[in-house]
Amino acid sequence: MNNNVAALHPTPSGEIMAHAVDACVHCGFCLPACPTYVLLGDEMDSPRGRIFLMKGVLENEIALEEAAPHLDRCLGCQGCVTACPSGVAYGELITTFRGYTEATRRRPLLERIKRAGILKLLQQPRLFRAGAMLGNLAKPFKRVLPKVLQTPLELLPDHLPPLEVAPEIVPAIGVRRARVAFLVGCAQQVLAPNFNAATLRVLALNGVETVIPQAQVCCGAAALHTGARGEALSLARQNLAAFNLGCDAVISNAAGCSSGLREYPLLFAGEPEEALAHEFAARVKDISVFLHELGLIPIQRQPTPLKIAYHDACHLAHAQGVRLEPRALLKSIPGVELLEIPEGELCCGSAGTYNLEQPEIAAQLGERKASRVLGLRPDLIAGGNIGCHTQITRHIALQPSGGSVPPMYHTLEVLDLAYRGEL
Amino acid sequence: MSAHAASRVALMLQRQLGARKVLTSNAERMMYRHDAILIGETPLAVVLPESSADVVQTVRWANQHGLAIFGRGAASGLSGGAVPTSEGVVIAFTRMTKLELNPTNREAWAEPGVITARVTDEARVHGLVYPPDPASYRTSTIGGNIAENAGGPMCFKRGVTGDYVKELEFVTSDGELHRATRDFYDICGLLIGSEGTLALITGARLRLEPPAHFTRTLMAHFGEVGAAAQAVSRAIAGGALPAKLEFMDGACTRAVEAYLHIGLPVDAHAVLLIDVDGDDEVVVSQELELVEQVCRAEGGTVRVAANAIDAAALWQARRAVSPALGRIRPQRMNEDIVVPRSVLPMVVREIEALGVAAGLEVVQFGHIGDGNLHPNILFDPRRESFAAVEALAHEIARVALRHDGVLSGEHGIGISKREFMREAVTPDTLKLLWRVKRAFDPDLRLNPGKVLPDLEPQQTGRLSHAGA
Repeated sequence: MNNNVAALHPTPSGEIMAHAVDACVHCGFCLPACPTYVLLGDEMDSPRGRIFLMKGVLENEIALEEAAPHLDRCLGCQGCVTACPSGVAYGELITTFRGYTEATRRRPLLERIKRAGILKLLQQPRLFRAGAMLGNLAKPFKRVLPKVLQTPLELLPDHLPPLEVAPEIVPAIGVRRARVAFLVGCAQQVLAPNFNAATLRVLALNGVETVIPQAQVCCGAAALHTGARGEALSLARQNLAAFNLGCDAVISNAAGCSSGLREYPLLFAGEPEEALAHEFAARVKDISVFLHELGLIPIQRQPTPLKIAYHDACHLAHAQGVRLEPRALLKSIPGVELLEIPEGELCCGSAGTYNLEQPEIAAQLGERKASRVLGLRPDLIAGGNIGCHTQITRHIALQPSGGSVPPMYHTLEVLDLAYRGEL
Repeated sequence: MSAHAASRVALMLQRQLGARKVLTSNAERMMYRHDAILIGETPLAVVLPESSADVVQTVRWANQHGLAIFGRGAASGLSGGAVPTSEGVVIAFTRMTKLELNPTNREAWAEPGVITARVTDEARVHGLVYPPDPASYRTSTIGGNIAENAGGPMCFKRGVTGDYVKELEFVTSDGELHRATRDFYDICGLLIGSEGTLALITGARLRLEPPAHFTRTLMAHFGEVGAAAQAVSRAIAGGALPAKLEFMDGACTRAVEAYLHIGLPVDAHAVLLIDVDGDDEVVVSQELELVEQVCRAEGGTVRVAANAIDAAALWQARRAVSPALGRIRPQRMNEDIVVPRSVLPMVVREIEALGVAAGLEVVQFGHIGDGNLHPNILFDPRRESFAAVEALAHEIARVALRHDGVLSGEHGIGISKREFMREAVTPDTLKLLWRVKRAFDPDLRLNPGKVLPDLEPQQTGRLSHAGA
């Protein structure tokens, strides 16, 4: 649609935003794909409405404070990107807009502290673990704590496994077929260390040597998506240096992180490292894509047939178009039947730090996802993102299940168990 | 009305209905100016009713303050039907989404905000479908579909939205709630396609049908647009009655392929997408064979969908055409003409020639089975003159009228085609239409500036044509 965004904001960010607004033909095909529109039924909380809102703010027709509540409610799930026939780069638009306007946002002090705290904590596994332990001690006193602290506590698992230190190199077993660099991910090291352990075992078994650069830091996705562009840039710079080594691919087993790494070109738009960021992003692959391309060594038949409900993480399905690969990996386990979750393209409500910032909407989406999943009566649930994992297991536990609750595993955990005949 | 007075008036309604249902902030109101083609005035307030009673209250309040009322569904319309033309109130029905199925009677009661595709999604469990399927059916609402009398690919064989409406509940301009069936004076018939200018629809009893047992899908592509139109005419003349019969030209095909990547023939000049269906598998196969032969005889290359997934991908492609055109040029002027099938090849060629002569990019697609074509003029306002685009649009409308066609098959007249109405009906008929309008809406408060042109030609308002 017609806009003056580029003229009013002659910067690389302005150009990115103008390009996205230009492409929108306001057809409304995105409406039913948007979780907040489905729940709230108003235009401001739809992708089309948000594009108009951002355009209005950038053209000085709408005050940022008026638009902000609706823009903050956007999960960044990019379901609308999949639904859009016109090719609007909505993800690039909202991410860039958040970074561009964050400095001018007026936020209450407590909220600012909480946001900065979440970002800092998430980036540092040791600190996060210490905080989580403290949180578990505080759980009995939840009711008397300020509301901003209640939601994080609800999402914390009661038991935290010990932190595992990843080695610098995990050699291939047998003939080496490939060499990859691995991003360990922040939150998942604390909440589900077996994701990485299983991933490294499956890679080794498949003849892949894995290098784990010790200088790597958080991918920066959480900072980038919440408007902390400076912080995201600083983290990304450290990663560009840390991963500057000879390998076939840079691998992540967390959808949010692989998607974040692939957004480096957007983050570095107009920066000196822009070309380097493009080169780097082209080498980044989600673990499922890498393994699917490599081809798994055969897996033995499992003792009992198994029904697996595969959950599409938005940052795999919508942000990276990765749907087929994880399904193909799971289907390669003899004896596995894959179930499709109805309304599977709708976000589970986790969305990075969203379930901490917008707990009501996140909880409604979590409940909705849990009931759709349980309706299938699967033996287990598989997914590829720690955020979804935390959200879905929590909401499944809250559902009246009337029987056993299916466990949720990372796709790589399922493969790991299958290789060992323990599935 | 001054900004202060306006907000005072809006707050009065907010006190009656509650803050959740009445939007008054600048940012919120600005989100209700557009449909899928035009952008209009910012309304004074936006109401999101949750019941018919809310609608009645809103209409009475609007009457007290002399405000115009603009009904709105998902705003996926293509003629400006839901676009405010003055500072009135927008009633957006997106939260009235109750749907009750009655499989025994093969009917459903739907509130206006029910998304079209949901009716079939829920009815399918009972072995029933709701056939009308506009391209936007995953977004559009039943209320909007009835107001525009929406069509869709299925409508060639099964009929349009209006053919599936058994009863309507509606609120009139004086704030009264009514129910009407199809007997006596068929008021439903009058309201169907009236584009929110006669009453506000608050509920509809819809007819459901069992789907055909067997469906086969075929795609044929041609080196020339007229050949495709010729194939259609010959297939139907030969006795085929396809369930769906859709056409898109080469430019449309390339735009959709850029979105979906499903291997559409990007070097074709015309593509036909055809479904044949029925309850007897042998008859369905025979019909498919007939269509295949005719397409080949006209020089077409035929591909029969191997399975339901393949067929679904092809139909998703067809539904994506309209919005995917934004990939070619940022803006477009769309048409919705219907011409007799016998003149289709000629009409398609004439329109193509007009585009070439005007030096503008014209693409064509549509429900070619019932002669409903959507010629679209694609343009970039930074490089091409809007006046030239408007002139060409008028020329294209004249092609339809010259061949005994009509201006709107399914999108409605709205704002976009309002001025063309003068050429479509006689002055006397226009006066009659105005008498009907005044009988329902004496103060001209319901969706003013739509459908009927003023009896004396007037200057148009300051609407920006911001559609793609």
